[in-house]
Amino acid sequence: MQHTRIPEQLPVMEKLKILSDAAKYDVACTSSGTSRGNNGKGIGNCFDAGICHSFAADGRCISLLKILFTNECICNCRYCLNRSSNDVPRATFTPDEICELVMGFYRRNYIEGLFLSSGILNSPDYTMELLYQTLRKLRTEYHFGGYIHVKAIPGADPALIEKTGFLADRMSVNLELPTAEGLRRLAPAKTREKILRPMRQVQNRMEENRNELALYRSAPRFVPAGQSTQMIIGATPESDFQILSVAESLYQRFDLKRVFYSAFVRVNDDSALPALPGGPPLLREHRLYQADWLLRFYGFEAGELLSEARPNLNVLFDPKCDWALRHLEEFPVEINRASYQTLLRVPGIGVKSAQRIVKARRLGSLDFPDLKRIGVVLKRALYFITCRGKTLYPVKIEEDYITRNLLYVKEKLPPQLQGDVTYQQLSLFDDGMPLSFGEQAGLLAAEGQELLTAGADAGGAGRFV
Amino acid sequence: MTTIFVCEDSLDGILTGVYEAWDSRLGHENVRLQTEAEGTLELFCQYRPVRRDLEKAEKVLRTVRRRMGEKAREAVCYAAACTDERKADAIYRLIVLGLSMADGTKAVDCLQNPAVLLVEKLRYKAWHEAERMLGFLRFEELENGVLYARMEPPYAVLPLIAPHFADRLYQENWIIHDLRRGQAAIHRAGGGWFLTEAEALSALEKESRSGTEQEFQKLWQAFCSSIAIEERRNPRCQQNLLPLRFRPYMTEFGADRSRTVLN
Repeated sequence: MQHTRIPEQLPVMEKLKILSDAAKYDVACTSSGTSRGNNGKGIGNCFDAGICHSFAADGRCISLLKILFTNECICNCRYCLNRSSNDVPRATFTPDEICELVMGFYRRNYIEGLFLSSGILNSPDYTMELLYQTLRKLRTEYHFGGYIHVKAIPGADPALIEKTGFLADRMSVNLELPTAEGLRRLAPAKTREKILRPMRQVQNRMEENRNELALYRSAPRFVPAGQSTQMIIGATPESDFQILSVAESLYQRFDLKRVFYSAFVRVNDDSALPALPGGPPLLREHRLYQADWLLRFYGFEAGELLSEARPNLNVLFDPKCDWALRHLEEFPVEINRASYQTLLRVPGIGVKSAQRIVKARRLGSLDFPDLKRIGVVLKRALYFITCRGKTLYPVKIEEDYITRNLLYVKEKLPPQLQGDVTYQQLSLFDDGMPLSFGEQAGLLAAEGQELLTAGADAGGAGRFV
Repeated sequence: MTTIFVCEDSLDGILTGVYEAWDSRLGHENVRLQTEAEGTLELFCQYRPVRRDLEKAEKVLRTVRRRMGEKAREAVCYAAACTDERKADAIYRLIVLGLSMADGTKAVDCLQNPAVLLVEKLRYKAWHEAERMLGFLRFEELENGVLYARMEPPYAVLPLIAPHFADRLYQENWIIHDLRRGQAAIHRAGGGWFLTEAEALSALEKESRSGTEQEFQKLWQAFCSSIAIEERRNPRCQQNLLPLRFRPYMTEFGADRSRTVLN
């Protein structure tokens, strides 16, 4: 296959264009997880929560200078823009060019640090060595103290990966596709074992490093911000249940900080790839992230959200709402008594509101106006909670009724999903008519006052529970 | 009769107001705090102007820190940076509450109390603004190597963000200029930073930039446009996360492209 060879002395501008364009499909651009002051010799510190420095036209955050070291790759993964059989301009940075770029950008507060990934040039070892040299230069010669996220190249010498890990804040190995079967089909040069090996190595080394740090506080730190991975969603036929189960086991067994999901963008015209007439599956990606948050912060398990029988997430509802609707026997919960874990499972109550509720109720009992001020999304939560034994206004704890009402005030859905939402045929005399938006708003405004009459006026929706 | 203490619209001004109001021994329910030049004058109350006094302000802040904890101190500092006209009184009420409790550190958690809730909300607003400014601020290199940044934030976040940059850019000389308030934070390489009035700085805006400045700006603009995925284009989302008001001073949007999205 013919490559478009570009002369070696490409200007930095051209290289930057080519190699940032090639890196844009990598999702992770977070700079969180490390807190570190200036080392006194050079430039840079790390802010624990991460800082977004800009947002690109696709709405994704730009926090790090996200580039490939090279896009000259020996692999021919079918989904990848830089596969060896593609005719695209190729370029390779030198370590010095990268250092100059990082320092120049960092001084002007454009970026939080560097995200360095790479195609595989010559061999995994050769590429990993180049990445290591770049990081070493940046840390020791330029005294750069900012954030560095680097890819571990599967198949590279473990010694090299270890050396690099001591210079980076975060390391990641891309899982690429959720299952080994998908990998075999689309990335024949990569195997599951080859990808998981460096991931395991980084995990074990981090574990050891924790012990070292317990002994000597100033021991060098290995990948202090943890490791992450990403997988492509929608290029292979896996179900959401499979994907979430994989993510869950990565969190539990590999101690990952984050799993990123990347909606598949069809960049190559390849018969093995699915056609995506509606564009990348963005809503599905969004739902997966929501479910991912439930796994990490809300104490849910993948098996609770999905099962073999229901393998995919509901596109209409967020996963928590969907779960709550299927577990109405656990509701309503009493705000003033329910445990923190129970509060977290109520739709409309997030981590922050749950914490505030737990704090505030120690000093007095809470009512609906208090909840509203605390930040609970009442239009979603009202079907699932009571305050001092009462619901906000009379509602039925019944799946169809709640479903219809929730869809009425639903978050914005993509246009193709709007309008065709009919959960149940409505009859003229149906006592469960959904409230119109105006009626709902009126009720929410009248909270607390004359609950009973308000409920009875609202289109006959009122029923005491 | 209510006595209204009118204090200067700054952290020190408000804290001095807190000191004076407390010290007047009129009773907490008979006094109110207000920042300068706000609202219509009320009948049946007495206005008492308060002169900023750094020593008194320092005393109050120290007490807050000691009796109510670091979180309360931070909440007071951030809330005072906002532009809400109720902020001075809310801060006063929070401090009164905190010092009356056996364990003052719990005061910031009493969100049922309207004043506490207001302070918490203002704290969040100012913190959010400051946090965004940490990312969206852009330095330009002047010919003498000094880094110069401009901003026009709605709240007085300059003293809140300056320590971050003092640590990050420790080896650099830099100036952050708040055009709206005519203030600047100035940092000397390897030293500390201080806040100053910025009348003398207006010339800096037009001073020529260093030779490599243009080049780095071009590189950054190129990076920002090539990092976006065309298939996922979503200007609404971009604008939610990065409102237009930040863009005039951001390199990647440039002066001439300030009102357009990147493409």
